Amino acid sequence: MFIRMLRQSFLRGRKRKALAVATIVISASLISALMTISINVGDKMSRELKSYGANINLLPKSESIPLEIGGIDYNPLRGQSFLAETDLPAIKEIFWRNNIAGFAPFLKTPVRLAGQRQPVQLIGTWFDRHQPVANEPDYRTGVRQINPFWEVVGDWPEDRAFGGVLLGAGLAAAAGLEVGDRIRIELGEAERQQSAELQVVGLLKTGGAEDQSIVAPLATVQQLTGLPGKIQAVSVSALTVPENALAKKARRNLDALNTEEYDRWYCTAYVSTIAHQVEEAIPNSAARPIWQVAAGEGAVMRKIQLLLLVVTVAAFIASSLGISSLMSTTIMERSGEIGLMKALGAADRAVYLLFLSEAAVVGIIGGLLGCGAGAGLAQLISLGIFRSTVPFAPVTLPVILFTSVLIALVGSLAPSRHITRLLPAEVLHGRN
Amino acid sequence: MAAISLQQRQNLRMFLRILLQSLRIRKSRVLIAFCSILIGAAVVFALLSLYFDISIKMSRELRAYGANFFVGAAETGQPTLEADIYRRVLEQIPAQRLVGASPYLYGVARLDLGNAVLAGVDFTGLRRLSPFWQVEGKWVAVDFDEEHCMIGRALARNMALKVGDQLRVFKRETGFNQSLTVRGIVETGQAEDDQIFVNLSLAQKILGQPGRINHAMLSILSRDFDTDALAARLKEQWPGVTAAPLRKVSYSEGKILEKIKGLMALVAVIILAATTFCVMTTLVAMVVERTREIALLKSLGAENRSIVRQFLIETCCISLAGIAGGMLVGFLLAQLLGQAVFGAAISFRIAVVPLTLTVSLVAALLAAIMPVRMALRIAPATVLKGE
Repeated sequence: MFIRMLRQSFLRGRKRKALAVATIVISASLISALMTISINVGDKMSRELKSYGANINLLPKSESIPLEIGGIDYNPLRGQSFLAETDLPAIKEIFWRNNIAGFAPFLKTPVRLAGQRQPVQLIGTWFDRHQPVANEPDYRTGVRQINPFWEVVGDWPEDRAFGGVLLGAGLAAAAGLEVGDRIRIELGEAERQQSAELQVVGLLKTGGAEDQSIVAPLATVQQLTGLPGKIQAVSVSALTVPENALAKKARRNLDALNTEEYDRWYCTAYVSTIAHQVEEAIPNSAARPIWQVAAGEGAVMRKIQLLLLVVTVAAFIASSLGISSLMSTTIMERSGEIGLMKALGAADRAVYLLFLSEAAVVGIIGGLLGCGAGAGLAQLISLGIFRSTVPFAPVTLPVILFTSVLIALVGSLAPSRHITRLLPAEVLHGRN
Repeated sequence: MAAISLQQRQNLRMFLRILLQSLRIRKSRVLIAFCSILIGAAVVFALLSLYFDISIKMSRELRAYGANFFVGAAETGQPTLEADIYRRVLEQIPAQRLVGASPYLYGVARLDLGNAVLAGVDFTGLRRLSPFWQVEGKWVAVDFDEEHCMIGRALARNMALKVGDQLRVFKRETGFNQSLTVRGIVETGQAEDDQIFVNLSLAQKILGQPGRINHAMLSILSRDFDTDALAARLKEQWPGVTAAPLRKVSYSEGKILEKIKGLMALVAVIILAATTFCVMTTLVAMVVERTREIALLKSLGAENRSIVRQFLIETCCISLAGIAGGMLVGFLLAQLLGQAVFGAAISFRIAVVPLTLTVSLVAALLAAIMPVRMALRIAPATVLKGE
């Protein structure tokens, strides 16, 4: 009898139920889309924040103190130590290799433009080099990947060609040079001085020290300085999660962590973890997080995640209230029916049971459909803003299903109480 | 004439009576409608307020990345400029736009265990300029403090220095020889890790460069502010000065703000649509349940037009009350969101009021008219007979 009443209620009041289900579908899809986006926004925005450049600096382990001001080293006696270029692919073999967005090696040496006394920096690096790594035979990396803010007028130099360079915009303006000009540089100490001719293929504008420098392919600088296969520093751009208490503790003293903490730290993509793993991978190196990028990123990411979370909660509350008021309305209009049921001897409990089961069925149907629609909606949002899809988080399904049933039940509870308290005679007489 | 006016007056009285009775007798339902409109309007208002404020709030957050503007001397190498110019440059920038700024004067000084780069800075400004500095110990707090210094992490390790240790600084050219106390150890992952920081006035004394600086770094709120124009203006005013936005930071900031704004816009549109839909379905359900009433009115000779008008005005009354309350609640909600996320108030924008009013009222009226028009098409006899 109960099942029959439930079925009849759905068959007869089809339009009304459809309205309720539609509302829940809309709200549930919205909430599940927002949830999916909130869960993935860290990953997506982290990728966007990569435009701030590298967040880990890898240097040779060294005891000497560099005396570098404005990109020019004032310590001629500095015992130079180097890293080997051939070790670099190991960066893409660490535990968090998929979080390495790119890297670029650097080799710097002071040179003089012919006819000028002030030294300028000649920087050798990879621009967009094809560097096969494990599992990725087509991997390309270099400053074009890790420093998207570098603005070049003219062309980027070829990594494999000799002599094509970028000239810093400030230096070019001061020396009156333009794209296409040939420049003669002198390097080395007085007695072993040598000179070379380079071709300016582009002008570089960064607003930083590079504006006063010459940037050349790494191989060119290695050849000029007689340091084949040697590099001085590597900038690594890694996707990270904001630092928390554990990461701070690990930074202060790694040995203070117990085994469980260490495992948790090692298996989370904190900037300090990735720096540690890169350091392990490259022999004789010291990796340091660039806090300007790493800490700035952490601060901004926390804000964005919090923003979305708060907005999701607000949307959640608003739509729950919306659904509740709809459920109330649909129940209140059935007072005549309830009056009849009670006149025929139905107990209050039976009336409750009917309403709540109806609400549960509506909640389940609406929640399921809403989850499906929400997954699609999340893809649309993500494609629209980040130009990539988001994976569906399985946790959303139970959460959405549970909450939509809960909302429907809560929305039905108050009006059911109101309606069961009505006197059958009054209701049937027509005063509702 | 008099008869017509009497007729009109009676019509009006009847209309008002129906309206008032409808609001009075169906109290609980009117309350539900009022509440759902209130919630809808509140969400619309809060989200719009938040949306309009998001760029300004996030651009302040993005200052976590530090300096975005550079002022230095025009020649290459290690030229200096007068500290006075730096002060006058700062005067050119509106105070509420300037997040932080510091001059820098560099030189090589001799410490007990070797040479190091010494930098003179303005610590108060630097602290706001570079919130990302990881400092162990304390910052140098006052501008005229010539007893304390801060040192880079790598330098501290190489010279085995801890916070609170004494550090002797020599400079042969100026005959400077004095001990400083290490107040803090700083880690940035860049050149600062190898440097020693003192107040600018002390650095000028140590390096023998009174009144000079090498360059200055500024952190400026650059939203709706042309930093390129500022750079051009400064260069024109002082020919020896070069100024430029730091591309690393300024370029990224625009890109990130765009993304965040896009994200917020999409999220806002979706929430608005869903909230509007929720309010609409509630109102639709309420009108549908009054099909019998509409049939009765029709059978008593009411015109379609007057029935529609009655429902419309009824909805308008409830909606306007709901929207007014909603805006109030929405403003409070926006403050709550603003405090929770940015720790700052969301400003009240007059443009949000008409926007909220239009969106909510259109949604409510649409929700009321559609089912009424449907009900009008039904023959009264069928409805009154039941089902």
